Amino acid sequence: MKILLIEDDPETADHICHALRAQGHDVEERRTGTDGLASARSGQYAALIVDRMLPGLDGLSLVRQLRDEGFQTPVLFLTTMTGIDDRVAGLNVGGDDYLAKPFALAELVARINAITRRGEPGPPVILRADDLEMDLIRRTVHRGGKPVDLQPQEFRLLEYMLRNAGRLVTRSMLLENVWDLHFDPRTNIVETHMSRLRAKMDRGYTREMIHTIRGNGYILRAD
Amino acid sequence: MRIRIFHTEGFRIAAIFVAIFALSATILAVVTLEVVNQELRDQIVQFANADIGSVRDGYRTEGEDEAREVVGQRMAAPGASDFFLLQRGASTKVAGNLPPMTPRTGILTLPYPGDRAGRTILGVGSFIAPDLYVFSGSDLRTAQMARQRILRTLIWIFAGAVALALLGGMIVSRGFLHRADEIATTCRAIMAGNLASRIPVRGTEDELDRLSETINAMLDRIAALMDNLRQITNDIAHDLRTPVTHLRHRLERARDRASSVEDYDHALEAAIAASDDILALFSALLRIAQIEGGVRRLAFAPLDLSSLLAQLGDVFGPVAEDAHHHLRLSLNGPSIISGDRELLVQAFSNLIENAILHTPDETIVTINLSRENDEAVVTVSDDGPGVPPSEHQKLFQRFYRLEASRTRPGYGLGLALVAAIAELHDARTTIHETNGKGFSISVRLPLASQAS
Repeated sequence: MKILLIEDDPETADHICHALRAQGHDVEERRTGTDGLASARSGQYAALIVDRMLPGLDGLSLVRQLRDEGFQTPVLFLTTMTGIDDRVAGLNVGGDDYLAKPFALAELVARINAITRRGEPGPPVILRADDLEMDLIRRTVHRGGKPVDLQPQEFRLLEYMLRNAGRLVTRSMLLENVWDLHFDPRTNIVETHMSRLRAKMDRGYTREMIHTIRGNGYILRAD
Repeated sequence: MRIRIFHTEGFRIAAIFVAIFALSATILAVVTLEVVNQELRDQIVQFANADIGSVRDGYRTEGEDEAREVVGQRMAAPGASDFFLLQRGASTKVAGNLPPMTPRTGILTLPYPGDRAGRTILGVGSFIAPDLYVFSGSDLRTAQMARQRILRTLIWIFAGAVALALLGGMIVSRGFLHRADEIATTCRAIMAGNLASRIPVRGTEDELDRLSETINAMLDRIAALMDNLRQITNDIAHDLRTPVTHLRHRLERARDRASSVEDYDHALEAAIAASDDILALFSALLRIAQIEGGVRRLAFAPLDLSSLLAQLGDVFGPVAEDAHHHLRLSLNGPSIISGDRELLVQAFSNLIENAILHTPDETIVTINLSRENDEAVVTVSDDGPGVPPSEHQKLFQRFYRLEASRTRPGYGLGLALVAAIAELHDARTTIHETNGKGFSISVRLPLASQAS
């Protein structure tokens, strides 16, 4: 996957490049907003990683400009931790996700994978993984043809896992996207809800579908 | 001082008033003099006409001799004209104290007899018979003297008034200058570092008092913000030192003692975790500071507290259950307020997490939403061991932690954040007296008015 990284700090850029290249991605770097915009206009990238503060043209204006011109390339914003309003502003101009510095590289990789996935055509009505089937219209879940009774929040959690099947999903991605919580909780909200979901899904099955990646998050694996 | 006073606003105003006064006084003087002058001339002409009337009456009844007689009488009488001439033909003087002259009729002025330069006679000339001419008139000098007296009086009054106005202006300016000096002195004191210095207020409720009060209020606000900033800086300096020192120790120990890849891995994991903690603490502090800055209020929108709390109940219900606690909700219908959903979720989550984390098993945590007058009251309470009343106020301070909770993770920033978020929403946060039966904290948020 070809990714364009627009980041003025060489050390951060280097750090990110290494991580993405290790994942097999092809990364190009730009140091200024103006250079970044020019390159992004080629439309050859699967995703853009855009720092909010850039010399020349700031990240927000860059993405706004790009969206105005009709480019739909998924965008992940990077920002310093102080900007508490940055997330909303970033999403408003057409960014797809947002990550505050400093972040774990696994988090960045997981989010890039998630936003590039969104570009796939046509919202599916039924999500499937192995013998698990989720009907988004009827709001039902079946495993091996047998219904699994889920609470609304468990349903949303499973839906998010299914939409990102085969990819690492981090705790903060779940907190933000499933529960709309934008802070780091002191209680184990994710673990609690995840274990309940697993208990319902895997009851009577020997093979687990959702796997814990220690220290990073979860993956729903369909073999 | 003597020079500076001319540059004060008070003096400038006084000077403008003096100028306006001088202009109007001059106009008044000119008009008065003109009126007086006209009045005196009218009087002279009136006397003259009366005299001429008497002479004419005398002539008509008893002839020229009687006319001459009348002229003689009028000349001697007080309240009549000063000068007379009864003349026959072109140059024959019959009676009077003026030399003969070319007869002219109507109101006229004559040069004074003899050579008394500058003095004139004003009078009336008339024929009382085809060949008999009478002139009666008076010295204009009386009128001129009256005019000069009035002018002199007016000049004195004028000078006095100007002097008084200038003196008044000076006194007013000196007061003004004095108070401007007070303001300047205060400002200089503040610049010099005495931040507690304030402008004295006289309680006279005048413009300068109001100005001083406004400046003082501004200074108070700045002082509060600076205190806050200083507090944050101190907190950061103090509370970041400990974890950073720990981190350093750990790295040092790893360098000195680690002997296997596994040891190094361990040390690095621990170091990363420690630096994450430091960064989290840092960002929590900055978040509080930013919320206290109030910028976030721009993003306020109407929201229903009851659905927000119901959602939190769904999130935390299972969490409480896993922690062997019971979470109960009592929401009495929708309560619409204006606020920032994300921040309110964080604040209430904080209170709920506190209740779950700081109480023993089997504690019942209750979230209650009610409406009192114009407020929505959210109360999070538990039936745990509670907090001693003496500690209540300290709970909102940054980094304050109860002895019992020091061993648990956290930084003691939770309630400080709640307080900051509440203040942003014009909400009041109260910790209730529970007499040792649990802990109960309320946030009272103003309900959105029906109109909005």
